[in-house]
Amino acid sequence: MADEDEDMPQLSGGGAGDIDLSDETQDFRFLSTLSITGTDLPKIPKRGEKDFEPHATARQTDTLAASRAAMHTALSIPRIHAPKNHMVAIYEPSSNMASVEKAKSQHFQTIGRFANGKEWLLPEETLFMLERGSLDVRWPVKEGEEGLGVPMSLQGAYAAFIGMEGGVGGRLTLEMYNVYAGLKRAGYIVLRTGTWHDAKVELNLSKVGHAKEKAQERYWGLGLFGELWKRLFRLQRSDSLERFKLGPLVTPGLYRNWTDIYKLLEVIPRHDRTAPPKFMLPDDISNPFRITFDVYKPVSQFRKSKPGPPDYRIAVINARETAVPTMVELNDLLATTPYDLPNPSTQMYQKLKYGSRNIILAVVDNGIPSYIRIADAPFEDEKLYERIGRGRGGKRGGFRGRGRGRGRGR
Amino acid sequence: MNSKVDGVDGVVLAVTSGHGNGKLPENVAAKPQERTPRPKRPNYAQIHSRPLPLEIYPVPSFIPHNPLSIARIVLTAVSQYFWPPSSHLPNLYKGYFSPDTQAVHITDPKTIRALWEQGFYGKGTLSRSEPRWLDQEKRRRGLIALETSEEVTRQRRETRRQFKLERARKERETIEQQLKDEGKMPGGAYIPDIREESALIQTVEASIATDILLDAGVALPSPTSLPGTHIATTATQDDSIVPENVDEDIDEEVEDQEHLQLTCEEAFFLVYALGALEVSEKDSPMSSSKLLKLFAEHSTFPSGESQYLQPDGAFLLRYVVYHHFRSLGWVVRPGVKFAVDYLLYNRGPVFSHAEFAVIIIPSYSHSYWTENPDQKAASQQGVERDWWWLHRVNRVQTQVHKSLVLVYVDIPPPTQTDVAIEQTDIGKILTQYKVREFVLRRWIPNRNRD
Repeated sequence: MADEDEDMPQLSGGGAGDIDLSDETQDFRFLSTLSITGTDLPKIPKRGEKDFEPHATARQTDTLAASRAAMHTALSIPRIHAPKNHMVAIYEPSSNMASVEKAKSQHFQTIGRFANGKEWLLPEETLFMLERGSLDVRWPVKEGEEGLGVPMSLQGAYAAFIGMEGGVGGRLTLEMYNVYAGLKRAGYIVLRTGTWHDAKVELNLSKVGHAKEKAQERYWGLGLFGELWKRLFRLQRSDSLERFKLGPLVTPGLYRNWTDIYKLLEVIPRHDRTAPPKFMLPDDISNPFRITFDVYKPVSQFRKSKPGPPDYRIAVINARETAVPTMVELNDLLATTPYDLPNPSTQMYQKLKYGSRNIILAVVDNGIPSYIRIADAPFEDEKLYERIGRGRGGKRGGFRGRGRGRGRGR
Repeated sequence: MNSKVDGVDGVVLAVTSGHGNGKLPENVAAKPQERTPRPKRPNYAQIHSRPLPLEIYPVPSFIPHNPLSIARIVLTAVSQYFWPPSSHLPNLYKGYFSPDTQAVHITDPKTIRALWEQGFYGKGTLSRSEPRWLDQEKRRRGLIALETSEEVTRQRRETRRQFKLERARKERETIEQQLKDEGKMPGGAYIPDIREESALIQTVEASIATDILLDAGVALPSPTSLPGTHIATTATQDDSIVPENVDEDIDEEVEDQEHLQLTCEEAFFLVYALGALEVSEKDSPMSSSKLLKLFAEHSTFPSGESQYLQPDGAFLLRYVVYHHFRSLGWVVRPGVKFAVDYLLYNRGPVFSHAEFAVIIIPSYSHSYWTENPDQKAASQQGVERDWWWLHRVNRVQTQVHKSLVLVYVDIPPPTQTDVAIEQTDIGKILTQYKVREFVLRRWIPNRNRD
């Protein structure tokens, strides 16, 4: 078996593609080189070498101590609101939001919405800003009191904003906030999908990207004649239904090419992905599989008033409360995403992996999200048998299995 | 562990891979000291030119500057009109069902080769996948000088193992040096020698392997020595084989003890879909409906005889998915070694690695399964899988560079099952299922930002 060679990809460096370095425990010494107070932009330091087990050398102990010290130093830097950027927000219990009189930060290019002369922040936006120390949130002033209210603590903010499912503007769960904060820290622009108030989700009948081109192509490509021709051939084939009963599906006879034979093998109904999507479950607010966030790549031209179609759609799932979705759940979830095809010139494997509709599930297990991209893969469109005998025919052997070195188990 | 064979010094060795008939390559001898060029591969494109064990008759191509080609086309057309050739062989391939292994066995060597070469069906009972036991056995006895691909693999793994040991040794030495520098090594701390340990493990493994072999009484292609075989290859560590008795034994025929083992789905596909195989029971061929019943019964453990065909029975589910991907032109092979149901190959395993790994999940979306609480409970049993399971499977696929495909099979409600098994309409059963594929992939925020 190939098991002995299984660990090869990482060693050869080829397997780095899907291995997330952030999963590992880090050597925090790099933090000591990070100058937070300085004026110049901090450079991202390189990671050190990794030790797997203790081996009693003083050097290892020192390294570990230095790493811890660096982490503590980084954490012990006082976090203050610089007077220049000090921003005060007032918590509004009736809407569970916070309002800012004057936005003084770059962040407001992607968060908040303007109404009644104020910038209004959603619960997750307020919490994120508060947590990173960019916002000073105050409890509302009681009647008859003067000045600003009491500052909201981090604990207070979590209590106020998370888990208020019954409240207005609520439904923000800890899982959703985890995903939101993680993606924001990674640099993405994250917006709510819809308002989260609607119980009903809508079918997405739109087409994005290359899916639009395809529709046009089809219109011009197949004329009336082509349709007629297709139908003629279909009629010819449907004569011998007897073969389905006991087989063989391929009746002995004279065949000119493999395609004819493979066409006879078509029995199992395939899912038609070009057809407009349909919901299969009754509309239910308790269905956990719905799109939570629209995620945009950080681009300078982004305008929050007109964000356009998102780059990724993320559904936040609680791993402890849900199971792997059934086909019906996946169907309904993907029905709310647009029809999205890859560039027609991409290679077959890439096309299949890209799929015709896609969604990213953020499966949060006790605060740790793992992201899975699910794509509706149109296997029925890529008929491999039509490739037999063409391309690569004259060449011996394959492409990747050629060398001796790659032990990836066949 | 080099690729030399004693006595045939300086031979440029080639790799046989099941198709080598043991001939020495033509460029024998010459430069013994030079690095051997990469051995020539068999012409796989030619050997595996047919994707199915059937025959097609393409019209001869028309060559404009050769008027004779028209004559050839006409001749072919006329002759094939009067004597139409058949896509199927006059004598079908034959196999028998073995309940113990839950597989269909093929014993005829020609059939074995045909089924392997034309569509990659089955697995050698004594091999990893392609039936290669005979070649390896001949090589072991010194009857062929060509290096088998298994030996190359073994050698490669040995090199890798050595490399890892060497790396571990170097790391250990650095640590020891560091400890010495720090004055902490007055013979006190003992760091176990990884090499010693692994050598110990290896000997233990070897002796276990020998025991197993002796128990089974089967001559496996292994460097361990066996009683009853006339060549004593005593080396347990060294894989290189010494063909000392080449001259004496060259005439001896090695009997092929290997069978081809078809999974139930493969056999049913060959019988029902292609009509190329005949599975017999007590020397009389079985009809496809009888086979369906037989395979469905044996798909559970312990195999139970049931009167009716369960719509969500394991065999039907697996067959539906197998047939679906086969009918699209994929080469479908069992994927148990990667914790999945199937692996999908483009053209075949000799051409490229499998790109997709398939997991089958039944889907009970028909109203029949939900309207009655009993049925609902029954259908949900064993279907619900947790996310950790999915993450585990997906991790394995990522490590071996495959994409995970979840294939949902929509289960129809049970049909009126009062029909005798002889009158089962298989086509009708199969058309009730629906297949839908989803490709899964880990998405990493830090790698998708731009």
